[in-house]
Amino acid sequence: MLTVTNLRKEFSSVIAVDRVSFEVGRGEIFGLLGPNGAGKTTTIRMALNILQPDGGEIRYDGERFSEKTRNIIGYLPEERGLYKKSKVFDTILYFAQLRGMNAGAARAVAYRWLHRFSLLEHRERKVEELSKGNQQKVQFICALIHDPVLVILDEPFSGLDPVNQILFKDVFMELKQAGKAVVYSTHQMDQAERLSDTLCLIDHGRVVLSGSVRNIKKRYGKNSVHIEFDGNGAFMDSLPGVRRAIMYEHSAELELGDGVAGNALLGEIVGRVEVRKFELLEPSLQSIFIQVVGMPDNGKRGVFAREVNVK
Amino acid sequence: MTKALVVAKWEYLEKVKSKAFLIGLLVTPVLMLVMGLLPTLLACQEDETTKVIGVIDRTGEIAGPLAARLQNQYKLSNGNLRYLLRPIAVGDDMDFEEAKAEGDTKVLMDEIEGLCIINPSLLGDSLIEYRSKNVADLRTTGRIEESVRAIMLEKKVAALGLQPTVLQELKVNLDVRTVRLSSEGEEESGFTKVFFTAYVFLMMLFFLIFTSGQLLVRSVIEEKSSRIVETLVSSCSPTELMSGKILGLSGLGLTQMGFWALIGAALSLRLGFDFASADQALLLVVYFVLGYLFYAAVFIALGSPVTTEQEAQQISSYLVIFLVLPIALAIPAMQNPNALWIKVLTYVPFFTPTMMALRIPIAMPSVVEVVTTVLIMVAAIYGGMLVAGRIFRVAILATGKRATLAEMVRWARTA
Repeated sequence: MLTVTNLRKEFSSVIAVDRVSFEVGRGEIFGLLGPNGAGKTTTIRMALNILQPDGGEIRYDGERFSEKTRNIIGYLPEERGLYKKSKVFDTILYFAQLRGMNAGAARAVAYRWLHRFSLLEHRERKVEELSKGNQQKVQFICALIHDPVLVILDEPFSGLDPVNQILFKDVFMELKQAGKAVVYSTHQMDQAERLSDTLCLIDHGRVVLSGSVRNIKKRYGKNSVHIEFDGNGAFMDSLPGVRRAIMYEHSAELELGDGVAGNALLGEIVGRVEVRKFELLEPSLQSIFIQVVGMPDNGKRGVFAREVNVK
Repeated sequence: MTKALVVAKWEYLEKVKSKAFLIGLLVTPVLMLVMGLLPTLLACQEDETTKVIGVIDRTGEIAGPLAARLQNQYKLSNGNLRYLLRPIAVGDDMDFEEAKAEGDTKVLMDEIEGLCIINPSLLGDSLIEYRSKNVADLRTTGRIEESVRAIMLEKKVAALGLQPTVLQELKVNLDVRTVRLSSEGEEESGFTKVFFTAYVFLMMLFFLIFTSGQLLVRSVIEEKSSRIVETLVSSCSPTELMSGKILGLSGLGLTQMGFWALIGAALSLRLGFDFASADQALLLVVYFVLGYLFYAAVFIALGSPVTTEQEAQQISSYLVIFLVLPIALAIPAMQNPNALWIKVLTYVPFFTPTMMALRIPIAMPSVVEVVTTVLIMVAAIYGGMLVAGRIFRVAILATGKRATLAEMVRWARTA
């Protein structure tokens, strides 16, 4: 459905997107990952014809962007993309008509979506009177109401409570089953891991990792250990045979060196902390990402630094 | 093009439904009426109490007739005297300084409203001095002056040995009637008519451009800061978006102005103002539409790169100059509508509509001039819209990051 080849974009001497290529087919959920400022949003804007690339090509079912393309794309911008003073229902109808729907058809579909997202009683309220989560739902409806073939969502899960996250996830699955191509960006690795069929990891404008989730994990082997414990586990990152460690307060993810057995490691640990869980596992995307990109410079990279205490 | 209509409808309905629009619609004419009429009404309001004015007459000949004259000529609505003259010192044997001090004290103590000193002058004319806490009471001083003048005139007539009735005979009343000549015949015309036609035209153009222009800039700012613009531009082309906005917001401006024009027309009919004739009006409408479209292009070109309200205000104030300048030029233009500089300005798109608004009611410009200026305007609008559209396309997406020239060129090409 969407083919991106060698995409490039510069902003006053900063290369925001550098030779990015990927492909998204119908019935596929494609996760665009990377830290803030990696170039995800810029890539998405070019895919939407909002920005013009400085190089490379974007094709939609093999064709260039045209007026026709506008009506088959659905877009959810990263928060705030609604008129605050306008009514919910009017807003949805407006965006539907802008995507080429007629008002009558849009009305019927809008009712269905509002009902599904339990927003029906809010339909005559102004957008600004809604909670952030509900506003996000309205945006979601605006992006999907015209039944687009290609759905592009920029950080769709930000600001959502767990219940609504599940709601969104269900819609994702339905879109996939209906044969739509779904592209979404996120910086939450664990979520991307569970949701995506294919991934593309971007850092500093470059693709550092791409492919199906299964293949990526296969490529990076099963050489990690997940430990949950009580006590001070600070020593773990300096144990022999541990190549990398991601430390949390009561858990750790350790990547082992080649030929290091999990059992040997367990022996080292057992005496020093109270082990509650010990598991050999596939490396998480997070650890793969860190492995590929390398250490963030002094933990400056916002999201990762917050969530991970890196060696 | 249908998407442009969707945008137009949205812009129009969303703004029309807003409270701010409704309030502006109703409050503005009320405010203008109040501002226009209140000062006049208040100034016309007559006092309700008698004013006591002290008088020091060093000639000894004026105070008496002055008191009589003020008494006869000016009365309050309840029949009481409006002015009461109280002599403080009369005649040439007074101690002037002492009398003046006494009078001043009385003014300051509010015993009298003012002190009128009549001095004998070298030339035989009296010199009047009016001393009061309030010297802005022009009506009172004016009446005193007028009365004293009449008294002096009478005295002079008497001194020449003439009858007082001579004064009546010497009075001349003159009324000049102006008639505007054109090939269709003659027509009574006057300054007020020309001025009002031009003035109403300019004000209407001014209001329409500014209401819709500012609405446009404001909506672009909102869409930029909320990133709605990304959704918009991914669903319709910038050209559709721009034309939709112009259409919708012009409709809004027209609604507002139409409403005000109704009020204005009703008022002017009541007050008996005179407007341009039908053929003039038709031509004025043509220039009005051309002028509006031209300024819309200018507004978009200058307004769409703006990111804050303050910047938008600044840009509006620059544009005001182009519209206010012709109003300032109205009077010289009316005195000599065929002056070269006026003709030259007529061909400059920024001024064409307003200059024509001044010239048409005075003297119909030649067909050649009309055709040429209309063609120039159409060309200017076409060029202006083209440039504005390109700037708009790039500018609406420039949030923080400035669009590069290369990018602008690329945008222009992909269009």
